[in-house]
Amino acid sequence: MKKVSNNWKQAFPPESVGTEFFEEFAMRAQNVAAKVFRVKTAAEAQSVIVEIIKSCDAKKVVATPEVVSPLELPTILKSMNLNLYTEQSDIRTHADTSDVGIACVEFGIAETGSVCEDSLAIEQRLITTLPPISIVVMNSANVVPTIAAAFETISKVFDHGYISFITGPSRTSDIERVLTIGVHGPSQLVIIAIDEEIREV
Amino acid sequence: MSSNRNLKQEINEKLMDETLRGSLNRFAEAYPIARAKAYENVDDIDSLRNSVRDMKIATVENLEKIADQFEEQVTKRGGKVFRAKDGDALKEYLFNLCKEKGVKRIAKSKSMATEEIHLNHFLEEKGLHVKETDLGEWIISIAGHKPSHMVMPAIHLDRNQVAKYFSQELNKDIEPDIAYMVQEARIALRDEFLQADMGITGANFGIAENGATGLVTNEGNARLVATLPPIQVVIIGYEKLIPTIKDAVPILRTLPRNATGQLMTSYMSMISGAAPALVKKDGQWVEQEKELHVILFDNGRLKAAKDDKLKQIYQCVRCASCLNVCPVYTLVGGHVYGHIYAGGIGAILTALLNSMDDFKQINEMCIGCRRCTEICPGKIDIPGLIEYLRAKSVEQDGLPFGVKAVFENVLANRKVFHNLLRLASIGQKPFTTGRVIRHLPLFFAGLAADRSLPAVADKPFRDRVKKVTKKIDKPVKRVAFFSGCNIDFIFPETGESVYKVLQDLNMEVVFPEDQSCCGKPVLGMGDHETARKIAKQNIIAFEEAKADYIMFACPTCAETWHLTYVELFKDDPEWSKRVEKLVHNVREFTSFVAGEYDKIGRLNKTTGGQKVTYHDSCHMKRGLNVHTEPRQLLESAPGYDFVEMKDCDKCCGMAGAFGVKYTELSMPILKKKIDNIKDSGAEVIAVACPACMMQIQGGLDKQAPNVKIKHVAEIIAEQIKD
Repeated sequence: MKKVSNNWKQAFPPESVGTEFFEEFAMRAQNVAAKVFRVKTAAEAQSVIVEIIKSCDAKKVVATPEVVSPLELPTILKSMNLNLYTEQSDIRTHADTSDVGIACVEFGIAETGSVCEDSLAIEQRLITTLPPISIVVMNSANVVPTIAAAFETISKVFDHGYISFITGPSRTSDIERVLTIGVHGPSQLVIIAIDEEIREV
Repeated sequence: MSSNRNLKQEINEKLMDETLRGSLNRFAEAYPIARAKAYENVDDIDSLRNSVRDMKIATVENLEKIADQFEEQVTKRGGKVFRAKDGDALKEYLFNLCKEKGVKRIAKSKSMATEEIHLNHFLEEKGLHVKETDLGEWIISIAGHKPSHMVMPAIHLDRNQVAKYFSQELNKDIEPDIAYMVQEARIALRDEFLQADMGITGANFGIAENGATGLVTNEGNARLVATLPPIQVVIIGYEKLIPTIKDAVPILRTLPRNATGQLMTSYMSMISGAAPALVKKDGQWVEQEKELHVILFDNGRLKAAKDDKLKQIYQCVRCASCLNVCPVYTLVGGHVYGHIYAGGIGAILTALLNSMDDFKQINEMCIGCRRCTEICPGKIDIPGLIEYLRAKSVEQDGLPFGVKAVFENVLANRKVFHNLLRLASIGQKPFTTGRVIRHLPLFFAGLAADRSLPAVADKPFRDRVKKVTKKIDKPVKRVAFFSGCNIDFIFPETGESVYKVLQDLNMEVVFPEDQSCCGKPVLGMGDHETARKIAKQNIIAFEEAKADYIMFACPTCAETWHLTYVELFKDDPEWSKRVEKLVHNVREFTSFVAGEYDKIGRLNKTTGGQKVTYHDSCHMKRGLNVHTEPRQLLESAPGYDFVEMKDCDKCCGMAGAFGVKYTELSMPILKKKIDNIKDSGAEVIAVACPACMMQIQGGLDKQAPNVKIKHVAEIIAEQIKD
């Protein structure tokens, strides 16, 4: 899978990253209607995913290769009556009609409750934009305090490509200024932050 | 836009539009609260705004270099850059591209630059299928409206109206339920993204360092437009360029907070170079690099960059917060501004990017209250730029004959002007009750419907000077009083109070007889030539007075002297020197007296007595930055109990000639002020500006006759025994 950087971790400002910023990050993400789960292990993350998929009765799930193998998604979703798509062309064909998309994001920003996504790969973007439920997985130690610290990081890795901040679900206030969730993007954003490192650098 | 608009009629239609009025009213109430909350976790808003401003100023200073670098970096990463000098060039390039690539369907996300040149209309005429995908933009496109706000384009419509347009567009009955309508829009527009051959986006910023363009959105449509179609077109105005990746920080910390009261929008995407996309080849999805076209759009922007003042528009981040606090915008909405950009910044952008003709018709709708300048992330002096553009247009085209004749023959000639005012005091007699004119005959009646007009005093202040002047033994200072027209001819009692207070401080006060109007009304109309004549008369009169201070009880006159006179003569070394010498001595009355009282221990808080509240004049608070001192004087005045009122620093709606020329706009603004005064429970409303005094007094007389209005000078003079 294409990435702006394969090693975001080395780009974090060493003084300004860590779990100490997680609480504020989670609070602000929840303020904008994101659901936040902090778990210790990959196994716990797996059960959160299973629960979400059960509760929305998902029939189709799309996921990036980056998240599929460390969380062993084919194995844990096998017993459930659903289709999981992880290949690029399948993702393009099925993302629009899938119920859930699962992908990794690089880090959180405490100041705004945003997650920063390395969006260079087309499959990443399809998965986090098209399905109504978007599950993003991150490491709970990868939280920076401010937008400035986020850009410290980004400016080290961003030569070319595509980088996004995602802050809560898609929303609009275009009719009578009434806040309405879920226009063109997901109506639910679920952030699963895992304490243990699941991705290889 | 036609040059013979009936602006008055358009304004009246908007004022009668209950939906619009209700929506704008609720918004005007909610916005400042939402914004303040969004800034709660920003330590120093002012220095954050400075960093936006400084970064943008540095950019415009090096614009050509930065644009070159941006182009080079986009090109290096596989994109094509086209510099479009105007709308026609942009349209031609885009249409040729569509023809060459066989484009039939286009999905668009929000771009004001494309609205500026009515791009959709053009493409549709050429037979292309073009869809706006931002919900608000889609609504107005199917309604056939223009955006009435830069961020909330459909704020003028309610759910019932939207449901009607949806029903027409989708050929089925749509219930006016907002959540349901949003879902319908999602379904209806989804295929537009999936099937589009080309995606067109705007940009919130463009980074020269790596050629990236940034998109700040909430709905997620821009992400889809930038992801799905194999051809991507970004249309970006030169003013959106920034030098480095990190320079996006101050924009991203202010734009969402100011625009919508959000800490961050749902999506912020930065795209540098041609990103991968999937195209179908022989029934298979194949990954390939997108075709990326970045159109750098000029259309008047580069010319503005070369003008010392107008280059300030490069400090605009398009948050539209200047509209949200504008007393006029929040009454009538965006459509009366004619072109597509609304409000104060809209008037300026219309002048620069569209036409001076359109600007001329609407520029007077800026009342110069400067509330916008307090919150603008880039610290743009919006009212100042409007005055500047007005002066430029007067320089080019002159004033209407009648106005010019009045300025040259009356205002520039003190004796004629003052004689006319004296005559008016006799002519108005049949209509006068006390200090006000309650009724006017026939067609003037509208002027006095919700507001009594001030009566010209029987005896102007200049004729009372002798009586109130005391001989001071060993005066500590010599003060020359500049009364301004309002105190001289409408509120001479205020002048008497000024004399009483200053003489009580053991100061000698003189009134230079040859002083005239400060020139503000003429300046406001953009006539700098007449203003210079008037200023020179005043300068000579006050040089001769040889005083330690020049005292003002009118903030507008004080500001005109202090700032504008300097500006007027900046290219005239002799007069410049003479002005410089005098302006150091300019003092505003309340701040001066508060300082003196503090020195002698008279500034101690007292309690009990009549409830008094204070109205901040726009020129006093945002022009002279004086707002604590008048309050200190009121708090320390025995017999008064100071209370604050809601929106104490919101314009009263007078704003010079505006209050008379646009009575229909001035009255609702005044009514809000009167309501806030009543709600505060105050028995006395104190002001430190005679123009506000005129307006508020007129409103009180009709709407709250039990509340008295007093200049702060009168209240402190009351404390002094004769």
